[in-house]
Amino acid sequence: MLKFAIKNLLTKKARMALVALSIIISASVALMAFNVSSQVQDGILNSFIYYDLIIGPSGSSTQLAMNTLFFTDSPLGTIPYSLVEELENSPLVNRVVPFTMGDSFNSSKVVGTSPLFLEDKTVKSGKLFSAPFEAVVGSSVASSYGLNVGDEIITSHGLSHGGAQHSASPLKVVGILKTTYTAYDDTVFTSVETVWEMHEHEEEEEAENAPVQTEAGTNSAPSHHGGSLTASSTASEEQVESHTGEVCAILVKTASLNAYTKLSQSYSGQTGLMSINPSAVLREVLDRVDLSAKIVYALSAVILLMNLIVVCVITLLNLISSRDEIQLMRLIGISARRVRQVFMIQNAILGAAATLLSLLLSHVALLFVNNISRAYGIVLNPFKLYPLELLIVLAVMLISVFPTILFISLLARKDALTK
Amino acid sequence: MITLDGVSVRFGAYTQIDYKQLLFESGQSVAILGGSGCGKSTLLNLISGIISPLCGDITVDGTVISSLSQAQKDAFRIRNIGFIFQDFKLLEKMSVEDNLNVLSLEGVNVKDSGQILAKLGIAHKLKARASTLSGGEKQRVAIARALVKHPSIVLADEPTGNLNYAIGEQVIIQLLDACKGKTLLCVTHDERLCPMFDRVLRLEEYASIKEANIHA
Repeated sequence: MLKFAIKNLLTKKARMALVALSIIISASVALMAFNVSSQVQDGILNSFIYYDLIIGPSGSSTQLAMNTLFFTDSPLGTIPYSLVEELENSPLVNRVVPFTMGDSFNSSKVVGTSPLFLEDKTVKSGKLFSAPFEAVVGSSVASSYGLNVGDEIITSHGLSHGGAQHSASPLKVVGILKTTYTAYDDTVFTSVETVWEMHEHEEEEEAENAPVQTEAGTNSAPSHHGGSLTASSTASEEQVESHTGEVCAILVKTASLNAYTKLSQSYSGQTGLMSINPSAVLREVLDRVDLSAKIVYALSAVILLMNLIVVCVITLLNLISSRDEIQLMRLIGISARRVRQVFMIQNAILGAAATLLSLLLSHVALLFVNNISRAYGIVLNPFKLYPLELLIVLAVMLISVFPTILFISLLARKDALTK
Repeated sequence: MITLDGVSVRFGAYTQIDYKQLLFESGQSVAILGGSGCGKSTLLNLISGIISPLCGDITVDGTVISSLSQAQKDAFRIRNIGFIFQDFKLLEKMSVEDNLNVLSLEGVNVKDSGQILAKLGIAHKLKARASTLSGGEKQRVAIARALVKHPSIVLADEPTGNLNYAIGEQVIIQLLDACKGKTLLCVTHDERLCPMFDRVLRLEEYASIKEANIHA
């Protein structure tokens, strides 16, 4: 029966292609929407928030958290590095990690920090940076640009691709991180001192090349290098760059809850400074993601419902045009039950093939979506398969067979001569 | 043996055909003649269980098929009756082989299909698509499909209706040859073919048609 059903199916290629296309489009969209939403959520949940305090320039707490934990958005501005030294000497903290960002390598951001920042990450090849102008790159950066340990990269000024290149101060890749499926995969890490030196080189070059220019401190740029002890102003929209003695934020692991409270109050009270609890901020973000996930699920359900309607219509048209064939089979003595089975097998084959292809396509599409989402700090794993995706596949298969069960029963039940 | 006793059939509210008692001996070939609409095809459809009578009994080889359920009639037809249609009723987009294999859906053994096709002179068309065959070839495929299950009864509803006389005559000769020992009821309009059959039945003498508002 299977052989006959397949042969018969192949005689209706155009009609079946229409049904398959309808299933593939709707199921792929639903599967991809679900997968992306789940991975974004997982990405946030999986980001281990070791630090309980982030100190940065006053502004948006979400921006500060997202910038330091996921490297998205621009930094709020800069704060003096002396705060890092102050905290390092404090008995209230267990760990202090400086964080600065303002340069990029192609579309990947360059983070200036200390090796401690990468302590919980695994280095796939090479080692962590230790000397100036050494860098560790994420796995996506390495694979995208074919980087190996020992290669040199030239970074650009600014967070978006196209800024002035730091040609005079290339970074040497000394390590490549193992894939984490987080924003770390698409980031270049180096020391804070390297970031400062790159900018110093650049400024020296500018000074040499530029005509005499005596304009003092242009508008909204952060405070100038020199280690001013006051917090810098809010960053310009265009660029934030850490000059010598400045960082964009400080990540702190406090020694105790009491220490956390003291430090939080102390730094929030200072002019131009802000301290946040990343867990609290991210919980707020998650609530928003949860809502968007619900929207994605609702949209997926609507898409699947549309799929059901489309498949119903096409199946009905298909069965109407197969009416003569059904009548013929009934006339020569094929029972209504067998006729029903032939058509159900055909739709089951079609449904299964189309949904499995949808699953494959949705994951291939993730590869492309990943190229875009990476720029926003969201690294998607195209091979990540959720059990619920298989449930969606099963549901779509059932949806594909359901109209056949309904309509063929009505058609085959009639006697052989009734059209 | 096939018998019809007091059988009437109704189409809609306006047409009713009443058949007188009819008897067809086993192994006999019968040419059924009659004008259009006199109930020739309906007679074959009744005997094969494709349609059900309004009243009366139809007995085929001892089985009162008029009392069977639709599923039982289907099962009876697939096992015992070979049906040949004027318009061939082939799965046009499928091959000759597939048109015979379709019967295997109901467990019919079709292993003799090659032999039967050879007897009908179209063995070389086994893999050909039905839609590419000529009318004569299509009718031979339809005959092969009817005979491959080795039925005791073969019903042919104007098998030469879509063929010219020369080809039609050939088809009837082959049909009669292939149906030796079986009961063959063949509806035809062509009196020239009648001498080839054991018996000729003029249906007007055995069926009356009422065309009126029966409920009126």
